[in-house]
Amino acid sequence: MTDAPARTSVIVTALGPDKHGLLAAVAAKVAEMNANIDDVSQTVTGGMFTMIMFVSFTAAEATLEELQETLTETGREVGLQVTVQHEDIFRFMHRV
Amino acid sequence: MVFITNEEILETVAMIQAQHLDVRAITMGVSLTDCSARDAREVCERVFEKVVTRAGRLVAVAAEIQEKYGVPIVNQRVAVTPIADVAAGDDAGAFVKVAHALDDAAKEIGIDFVGGFSAQVQKGFTERDAALIEAIPQAIAETERVCSSVNVASTRAGINMDAVVRMAEVLLEASRRSAEQDSIGCAKIVTFCNQPEDNPFMAGAMHGSGEPETCINVAISGPGVIASVVKSHPELPFTELADLIKRTAFKITRVGELVAREASEMLGAQLGIIDLSLAPTPKVGDSVAEILEGMGLDRVGAPGSTAALAMLNDAVKKGGTMATSSTGGLSGAFIPVSEDAGMARAAAEGALSIEKLEAMTAVCSLGLDMIVVPGDIARDALAGVMADVMAIGMINGKTTGARIIPAAGKRVGDWVTLGGLFGEGPVMAVSGAGNRRFMARGGRIPAPLQSLIN
Repeated sequence: MTDAPARTSVIVTALGPDKHGLLAAVAAKVAEMNANIDDVSQTVTGGMFTMIMFVSFTAAEATLEELQETLTETGREVGLQVTVQHEDIFRFMHRV
Repeated sequence: MVFITNEEILETVAMIQAQHLDVRAITMGVSLTDCSARDAREVCERVFEKVVTRAGRLVAVAAEIQEKYGVPIVNQRVAVTPIADVAAGDDAGAFVKVAHALDDAAKEIGIDFVGGFSAQVQKGFTERDAALIEAIPQAIAETERVCSSVNVASTRAGINMDAVVRMAEVLLEASRRSAEQDSIGCAKIVTFCNQPEDNPFMAGAMHGSGEPETCINVAISGPGVIASVVKSHPELPFTELADLIKRTAFKITRVGELVAREASEMLGAQLGIIDLSLAPTPKVGDSVAEILEGMGLDRVGAPGSTAALAMLNDAVKKGGTMATSSTGGLSGAFIPVSEDAGMARAAAEGALSIEKLEAMTAVCSLGLDMIVVPGDIARDALAGVMADVMAIGMINGKTTGARIIPAAGKRVGDWVTLGGLFGEGPVMAVSGAGNRRFMARGGRIPAPLQSLIN
């Protein structure tokens, strides 16, 4: 029996003015890149769209760099400021 | 997996994007103790080879970590064993050659500064120390990226007043040699009391004798995040403001800890220290003065400035020490003038004097830092200012440093532009009262009592 390949977990955030299809645009691109959406939440407050997406992938599926480039570009196209960061930065910053 | 709330995620993103959260510096300490040789050329070859071999991947590793976590890592630097302990002989020219080797190595690996053209002379000079100090002005003038520091005092040894006067002479010569660039050479020379052996900040970084072969020292984010938090809570009483600063310092120090762990593993170096200093740059929003003014002072230098700085410094340390068990280095807010736009403005307006900065240095690091004084300042006046800073460090058992720039051809009130991270600022006044007979005594001010400390 072999161990399952290690998965890299990243957190994607997207912020910007709300309009139709924003979540779909980001999600479709993540799927296209063979990465998996583990969890997602979105809110719209005062016309501002905020999305937080937990995404994971193995080395064979995608790389952090590719995800950053592609999702940032997608964000530019639909008017969102997108960040893609390894989850450890969030875990580390708020917990000992 | 540790549960992370949406609020925490968005707070982290906002700290990076809106409040300039970063990691100020990753500095790799590299021991050069195995580079000693009789022949200067051989020392140079060994020094170059060792720095390039051990720190060659530093810049690439920092870029990789920056991309992974989305946090800017502003500076990558190298600190080496004090060169007075590496090169041999009493020939200043040989030390200048070693400075060139360090400069070449820094260029080869793509870092902006290498620190450690240094000597420890708090009790006295060896022949090598004297030669290194003699070489400093030429070494700094002829190299781009080499930084120099000399420890002239300590709580255990007292103040070597001969060394203080010697460093004043060194500064005046370095000033003349870089006269056409507003004496910028002096910005790369620090005179210390109780110099730390693991400080990641330039120009005073070196890799001390108790340090491992290689190590990674990390400087936490600049003052922007704290300034932003303080300014957005104008109503809070001091106890609650201190708590807020502690919580923020905890978070930014955790980021420093994460980066330090990862960088040390990737570079095969020991995790050294996380330095909790708030180090400003000339950029707007990256200012310690702005934090103090955010607390309610119209200008830094106003009555209450020392109290405000004391509270800030202590709260940052309390929050930071909860976040890492590897604190070290200088770990105190910096109050440079030219490198902090708010300090420079207050000095230009007359709200902030050298004497007030001297008082403020008693409650933080790093001393009189990046202060421009008239180029024709008398040697003894300059030495006296430096001796006063050393005395504060010696008596209080803390690090103090002097990085003073006698700007050639400039008078009080003139504006000096040093450029880049060194910033700009006004030429500040030093008391004109004479001290020649005091400085002429020579010798050493004895080490102070460690009890009866009031």
